[in-house]
Parts: sequence; structure tokens; C-alpha cells
Amino acid sequence: MLKVEGLESGYGTMQVLWGADLEVKKGTITTVLGPNGAGKSTLLNTIFGLVKPWNGRIILNGEDVTFDPPHDKVEKGLTIVLEGRHLFPSMTVRENLILGAYTDRAMEKLESSLELVYSLFPVLKERAEQMAGTLSGGEQQMLAIARSLMTNPDIVLMDEPSQGLAPKLVMEVFDTITKLKNEGLTILLVEQNVFASLEISDYAYVLNEGRIVLGGTIDEVKDSEEIKKVYLGL
Amino acid sequence: MPFFEQLAGNLVYGAILGSVYGLSTMGLSLIFGVLRIVNVGHGPFIMLGAFTAFWMFTLFGIAPVVSISVALVLGLALGFVIFFAVIRRLINAPELSTLLATFAIGIFLEEIAKFMWGPDHRGYSWDIGDIDIGITLIPYSKILAFISSIIIAYLLYMWFQKTKLGAAIRAVVEDSGGAAACGINVGRIYALSFAIGIGLTVASGVLVTLFVPVGINPYMGHEYTLKAFVIAVLGGLASPWGAFYAGFIFGLIENGSYTLLGLIPGVEPFSLTRFVAFSLLLVILLIKPTGLLGGENK
Repeated sequence: MLKVEGLESGYGTMQVLWGADLEVKKGTITTVLGPNGAGKSTLLNTIFGLVKPWNGRIILNGEDVTFDPPHDKVEKGLTIVLEGRHLFPSMTVRENLILGAYTDRAMEKLESSLELVYSLFPVLKERAEQMAGTLSGGEQQMLAIARSLMTNPDIVLMDEPSQGLAPKLVMEVFDTITKLKNEGLTILLVEQNVFASLEISDYAYVLNEGRIVLGGTIDEVKDSEEIKKVYLGL
Repeated sequence: MPFFEQLAGNLVYGAILGSVYGLSTMGLSLIFGVLRIVNVGHGPFIMLGAFTAFWMFTLFGIAPVVSISVALVLGLALGFVIFFAVIRRLINAPELSTLLATFAIGIFLEEIAKFMWGPDHRGYSWDIGDIDIGITLIPYSKILAFISSIIIAYLLYMWFQKTKLGAAIRAVVEDSGGAAACGINVGRIYALSFAIGIGLTVASGVLVTLFVPVGINPYMGHEYTLKAFVIAVLGGLASPWGAFYAGFIFGLIENGSYTLLGLIPGVEPFSLTRFVAFSLLLVILLIKPTGLLGGENK
């Protein structure tokens, strides 16, 4: 579904990604693990197009989308839940959701997407007319995920969805991600919370210093020497 | 009580002038809100609007109220041209680059205007009578300026609230990353907002001519750049509607203080009104740093 080959990018003259390769299979949850500063967020932002790729290829559903701007990728079924939520705080929950359905692709399914989102997150229906900025941290994260679903995506990139949440809410977010997979969605996840994300994922990659050093099924990665090296310095 | 009559008259006049101040600042706030670029070349666009009104009136006898739409279209076109020629390259650039670029655009426009029309002060008189409101006489032309400002601001507000494109602009103002994640073409919103901002500014220049009978010249914009910055800050910088209301407040303060200062012997009130207005700005910013009507400015 999504294939990344030799992806390089960075900011200004500072290169962050040094040729990342990965593949995300349809209907799976794939996690990218790695220590702070490994380039995980840069990887997602480059795939989405907020950071320009310098080199390499991004293939979405068999089509080369390497240099497509973000809004074209959303129209082709790829979206992102950015780190730090990036909601529209002085708009209502409903307005946030409706804006999620901005593309033609999403407009067609507006009603059914809204229904799906409200059934997954009943609290958003209750608070539909409330300003997004007045929601609690957990509710804001739910809204960020819900807004991404409104784009009618095939695949969602998620950057640290559990960041800054209380442990109980963290588990809720991971439950939600599993539910999304069961709805048929494909997810590429970046997480600090290694154990919880390994728990729900099908595949995992380990990113270190801008390169993918290891990839495979969860069981392969879990027991590998590489992950111990990257995380524990053994 | 001649003093109170004079004060009331000046306040009415201040409100009318304030509506034009408000309109002339909305473009500046819109551009800052969406692109996070401060257009220090703001005033020269007002000058272009003033010349549009002047030439439309003297060459074709077209009333300024009608010229507003001409200026709006000219401004939109000019806004798109400047965006694609210059501003597009400056998104996410350091502040110094954007300040220098917009400053240069301002000087460029002024010098072109001087080259084409000369440095002289010009003016025209559109006399369609006055209305007596009891305390003072107000020309109909100024009342039309007042009504036009409010109508334009209201239409823009409705467009922002009710249309999909308007919602997309608001989304980019609040969070451009989030907007991109929704599939909004952020680059196109930047271009459109810049063009609308310049269009509004040029259009407001038409109305300004109804308040400066012989003040139309290539360098007339400076005064408005300065005032627009004060008003924009009062209004919370990123909000066009805040700017519109703040324009009223500024007009009232400026004209109200004119009357009060006139009571002090030996004081030349005109030069001091600005002192009062800017002092008040300082006080307001000390009390509420996000601006009088400002929300959450990061």
C-alpha cells in the first residue's frame, strides 16, 4: 500500500534522513521505533510532504507520489495525525470535523464518516458545539484522530498520538488505533511508548540516526539484538 | 454647551473616520494572520487606492463609491502578482527578509507613482450635500464612506463564516499544519489571502480620499502604515474583525482627544492627538498585551 525507498530529507543544510526504506501493508499497523532524534517525526512529515524529500521514492497504491504536495496526498487517501494535535482551537468540534472532509474524496462520504467518528468517539458528539481548545487533552487527541478519519483515508500516519496523556488515556488511544485497524484502515505509527505500540502492531521498523536498521514482524523485532542495542546501548 | 456639542460632533466624525481606519487595517491583519508576514509596505497600497479614486473621478467622473469595486479588483490582481513574484519565496523565511521585501515593494510602488503622476499634492471634491444631525453638519459623501466600510467588512465576515473557502482560510490562520492534514491547499490559501488583503487595502484607499481633500500624493501612505500598525495591535494583530473594531476605537480616541486638547491653552491639538493615541496604545498593551480584542496569539 505504501512503500518508501531510500528516502532522504532534512532541514536547511542539515540532513536528518539518510535513506530510509520501509513498506506498510494494507490493513496492518506498522510501527517505527527509535530513540529521540532518530528522525521519526521527520520521516512521517517527509512522507506526507510537509518536509520536502531530497532523494528517494514514495509510492502510494502503486503510484509515485514522492513530490506531491500534502493536499494531493490527502486526495489520494493518505493523511497524518501530527505530533501535538494541531487542531483549530477556536472552532467548534463539529467545524474541526467538517474541515477534515475538505477534499472531494472526503466530501462524498461526509455523512458516513461523521457517523463512524461519532460512534467511535461518542464524547465528540456530546461536545460537538464546544470549542476544540476547551477540550481536555485526551479529548483533543481523539478529535485529532477523528478529524483525520474525516478525510476518508486509506492510510493514516500517526505521530506520537499518546504524547502528554495520562496512562489511562494512553491505553484508550491504543485501543482506538486497534479499532481503526479493525475498521479496515492502514496505520503507520511513530511512538515513544515502545511496549504499548509493539503490543498492537503487526510490523515494526527501527530507525536510528536517519536509517532503518531493522524491520520485520513484531516477533522478529522484539527479540532482535538490534533493538536492545538501539534502546539500551548493549 | 458648545464644548459638549463640539466633542459630540468630533466623536461622530471619529466614528466615521474610524470605520475607514478599520477597513484599511483589515488587509494588514488578514495577511499577518494567514502568512505571518508583516506588510510594512502597507501604506503605499492605500496611496494606489487614493489615486484610483482620483483618476476615476477626474477622468471619467466616476463617483468614489463606485471606484471601490474597481480598486478592489485592481488590488486583488496586484496582490496575486506580488504574491507569485515575491511573497511566495518568503514563506517561512526569517522576519528580516519579509520586512525588507515588503518595505521594498512599498518604496517601489511609491516611486512608480511619483514617476507616473509627479510628487504634487492633488485632490478632488465630490460634493453631494450635507446632512444636519443637530450638533454638526456631515457630508453625505462621508456617510457613504461609513456605510461602505461596514458593508464590505460585513460581507467579508459572512464570506469567512459561511463558505468553504472562508473556513479554509480560518483553518490556516489557526493551524497551517492541521489545515494541510485536512487536505487544504495551504499554498493557494496563502495566495488568495494575500490578494484579498491587498484588495481590501487598495479599496480602503478610495474611501480615504473622502477625508483628505488635497492630500493625494505618492507618499501619503506613511501616515496610514503607522496608524494601521497601532490599530492592528489594538485589534489583536491576527484578526481582521478585531482590526475593524479597533479602527473605530482609534478614530474615537483620535478625534475625541482633539477636542479635549483644544482646551489647553498654548497647545496645538493636531500634533498632540497622535501622542495621545500612541500613549493609549502603550497603556492598553501594558494591561492587555494580546491587544484589546485579541485572543490567543502565540
